[in-house]
Amino acid sequence: MPSYAIILVIIGYLSLLFAVGIWADRKSKSKWVHNPWVYALSLAVYCSAWTYYGSVGIAATSGVSFLTTYLGPVIALPLWIIIMKRVVLISKQYQVSSIADFISLRYGNNRSIGAIVTVICVVAVLPYIALQLKAVSETFDILSDGVKSTSILTDSTFYIAVLLAVFVALFGTQTSDASRRRSGLVFTVAVESVLKLVFFLIIGIYVIFYLFNGTTDIYNQISALDGFEELATFTNIESSINWYFMIALSFFAIFLLPRQFQVSVVENTSTSHLKKASWVFPLYLLLFNVFVIFIAWAGKLLLSSDLNPDYYTLYIPLQQGHQLLGLMVFLGGLSSVISMVVVSALALSTMISNNLIIPYGFIKLLNKSNPEDNAQRIKNVRRVSIFILIIGAYFFYVNFNIELSLFSIGLIAFVIIAQLAPAFFIGLFWNRGSAIAAKMGILAGSIVTFYTLAIPFLNEVFIDGSTFVSEGPAGIALLKPYQLFGIDFMPPVTHAFFWSMVFNLMFYLIFSVVFKGNYRERNYAELVVNASSYGELEENAFVWRGEAYVAEIKKALVRFLGEKRTARALDIFYRKYELNPQEEKADARLVNFSEKLLTGSIGAASAKLMISSVVKEQPVTLPEVLKILEENKETISANKQLQQQSHDLKRLSDRLKDANLALVEKDRQKDEFLDTVAHELKTPTASIRATSEILADDDDMPKELKQKFLNNIVNDADRLAVLITNILDLEKLSSGRDIMDKKQHLLKDTLVKAVDGIYQLALQKGVHIEIETVENVSLIYDEDRILQVFTNLLSNSLKFVPENTGTIKIQTQQYGDEIVMSFEDNGKGIPQEDMQYIFEKFYQSNNQNIKKPIGSGMGLAISRHIMENHNGTLTVDEEFQNGARFIVALKTGGL
Amino acid sequence: MKKLLIVDDEPNIVMSLEYAFQKQGYNVFIARDGSEALVIMEREIPDLVVLDIMMPQVDGYETIEIIKKNPAFAKAKIIFLSAKSKAADIEKGLSLGADLYFTKPFSVKKLIAAVDNLIRI
Amino acid sequence: MKKRHQQKLVILSIGLILFLNIPIIFIFNSDASVLGIPVLYAYVFFVWLVSVIITYTVINRYA
Repeated sequence: MPSYAIILVIIGYLSLLFAVGIWADRKSKSKWVHNPWVYALSLAVYCSAWTYYGSVGIAATSGVSFLTTYLGPVIALPLWIIIMKRVVLISKQYQVSSIADFISLRYGNNRSIGAIVTVICVVAVLPYIALQLKAVSETFDILSDGVKSTSILTDSTFYIAVLLAVFVALFGTQTSDASRRRSGLVFTVAVESVLKLVFFLIIGIYVIFYLFNGTTDIYNQISALDGFEELATFTNIESSINWYFMIALSFFAIFLLPRQFQVSVVENTSTSHLKKASWVFPLYLLLFNVFVIFIAWAGKLLLSSDLNPDYYTLYIPLQQGHQLLGLMVFLGGLSSVISMVVVSALALSTMISNNLIIPYGFIKLLNKSNPEDNAQRIKNVRRVSIFILIIGAYFFYVNFNIELSLFSIGLIAFVIIAQLAPAFFIGLFWNRGSAIAAKMGILAGSIVTFYTLAIPFLNEVFIDGSTFVSEGPAGIALLKPYQLFGIDFMPPVTHAFFWSMVFNLMFYLIFSVVFKGNYRERNYAELVVNASSYGELEENAFVWRGEAYVAEIKKALVRFLGEKRTARALDIFYRKYELNPQEEKADARLVNFSEKLLTGSIGAASAKLMISSVVKEQPVTLPEVLKILEENKETISANKQLQQQSHDLKRLSDRLKDANLALVEKDRQKDEFLDTVAHELKTPTASIRATSEILADDDDMPKELKQKFLNNIVNDADRLAVLITNILDLEKLSSGRDIMDKKQHLLKDTLVKAVDGIYQLALQKGVHIEIETVENVSLIYDEDRILQVFTNLLSNSLKFVPENTGTIKIQTQQYGDEIVMSFEDNGKGIPQEDMQYIFEKFYQSNNQNIKKPIGSGMGLAISRHIMENHNGTLTVDEEFQNGARFIVALKTGGL
Repeated sequence: MKKLLIVDDEPNIVMSLEYAFQKQGYNVFIARDGSEALVIMEREIPDLVVLDIMMPQVDGYETIEIIKKNPAFAKAKIIFLSAKSKAADIEKGLSLGADLYFTKPFSVKKLIAAVDNLIRI
Repeated sequence: MKKRHQQKLVILSIGLILFLNIPIIFIFNSDASVLGIPVLYAYVFFVWLVSVIITYTVINRYA
């Protein structure tokens, strides 16, 4: 395929990525961009060209060991939530923007640790980036008919490298706050993760099912070859020890590689995303790995043995004449390179600016300038770093023209990065791990790594025929770099890893217990180790004593954030802690808050330097720090308790209020009832008194009129008697002192009697009465009382139904041992708000308390009491819409 | 002949009062509640109204408020005759503009004397 | 997530270390094959898949 065509495809592909990145940046809040799948897939930045091409190379030459790179993460991912949640929470709270920032924060915002970590990362990752570029360049050459370019100006890899640098600078350095998320960049990484996996799976399926007849076919052919055993099994115990250490190495790498920390912590938008990642990512790796062996074996079977096994994935389709498939493989490889280079360059450039350049020197310059210039300067520092890194990696590749395979350079990077492991992992869980110990451990480990890996390598490259490696320095056999202290059964990388870890770990542990850290680093250690319990302390988790002026701190903040952002941030801060913004002296919380604010822009160490230059700090002793932290914690939990208590109190007082309202309402009803009773008693009494007075004084009254007046007196006296009986009834029934005369009766007879009683009235009002009843239901009850209930319900209905169209319907049904009767009318119904009161003794509907009430308001209360005394019920159907419906229920068992 | 309007929903009381006042020489009109009373007043303009308070539809309070608003009824005297006997009730009745307040049960003789006193002289 | 369910994940991780290393892995150190996949690979892939399934289950049920 001609190179210009490939270049066109590459440019097209890169433009597509740019477009996707810009789109995702704009849509950073949408569910497509902000979602757990994007997070899980972005972790697959782990799969670089090393995975895409290198695994096949290893599988074809030395067998199972390629799996170790992935088994470390597989073991690590179940722990993801537990470990990373803590790291992410702390990082978010303290605006951490890189692994260097995180480790330096843990050890008290220690400037030199941040710098050391940065140097380690650059040393490890730069050759690693070079390797990625090498892969692009070599695959490009393979694809473009093998014509090698000779000068930089004609080398397409150089331009690809420049384009990548532009890409990172564009999407990675939009703001000076490096802890801000870059959704566009992360989204493109996730998209590329999908592409590289899909392309790899396609080529795998193509090899297995198109070129061969399934997996068994390949297996049968390859197992017939010599040396197959080495590819499919462990041939000796040593190789299995190697296996063990390699897994440990990749376990560390998944947490510590700068690009992994970038995507898994800095770019994390929600801790809930960690959940999905912990099963999606291992599954992703599994899919990537199942086809590796078959592609490797197919390469061995199909291709000539002088081709580089690293690129079997690409050679196979090309050899078969499938150019487009080859192009697809190339793009998949390019994807894995791009995401690795982009994220690594971003992470490293942030570290270089925040942990190396700014804290060592640049800060003085920044201190004197205005915010716009500073933001621009910080961004420029990062952009320049990005270009230097990527172009530097390019020249590294060109000049060293590394003979080592992709796989071994990757492993060396892993070993160097692994030097951060004790300081990182133990520091997360052990509060005594101190800054000096972390520094010592990392340095010791790095020196050992340098001696056991880099020196022999450089020796071979630059000094021909040196005996340094084979016989040891000055012939001391114990110091042979590949067989330190006589351990001669490990391959160089494992050997270096083992010894560097021994020194690193021992230095870290011993220095930690021998030399006590200062109060400042202990404060941060407590923060990180107890993140779950101190997390909620926020600014209170920081112990600080000294003198500081708000104005000074503000000036420092404005220099980096600008007036607007500073004002906004401080406003939030003052409101959160309910502080007076006019206060001149700053307290510990403001000092800590300001450090956090600055950390995103200039890194943890510089932020500490910046703030401490404007405040006068007084040392606090360690026990004091711990005491204050404990006190703050207690204050907060006491506050929580208080809040809980006041909440409970409020609920209680609400309940009391309700009860009181109910009582007042009851009182009001009772008053009204008494008024009503008084009115009802006084009215006939008044009538009797007036009439008898007239009769007594008037002798010449006509006889008929006299008779009429006397009848009136009799009627009023009867009314009085009924009223008095009612009141007494109610009193007796509700206090249970009534004696029932219970006998066997036919329910139907009683009902007919009740209807007969009101029949005349119904006829006058033109009300229609329907009865549906169950024949021959015989029950034990006090007939007079039940009759009273029925009559009461019927006369109530009669009062409320309209004239001439009124209907009253009585239905009886038997359910098991229960007789249920419904009395239903088409009257005006019961107002919803009265439903719960109608059976109360003193009930008078609200809307008739001034108007003269219809009835005494005691009928329903009396009826319900009667039903209860018969072990039955009287209820109202609250759902009934067309009028009122009362339900009477009686047990056939009686009593 | 002076005109007298009796407003009450209790037929027995109305019947007794109607007889007693007619015998005293008043022209007596009867209404069973406020709305009926107002209809009669438009027509007759009584000199005095005996007014119950607790009545269906328009009660005594509403009735007196309407009467007091209408200048045509300015000369009509009003006596409340009610079973409501609490001090607050009486105060309310008088504050609405009633001339007298009688509580039930009442003495017919005293009521006649009061009516005479208000409109005979 | 409760401590107890977190501990399930920690135990899974410890289990993976044990099952993917010597001496257990030596049980499957043979050049025979299952469906064309050498036993050693088949075993590693199987453990891998089981770990994904367990993580998925624990996380979706308890987290």
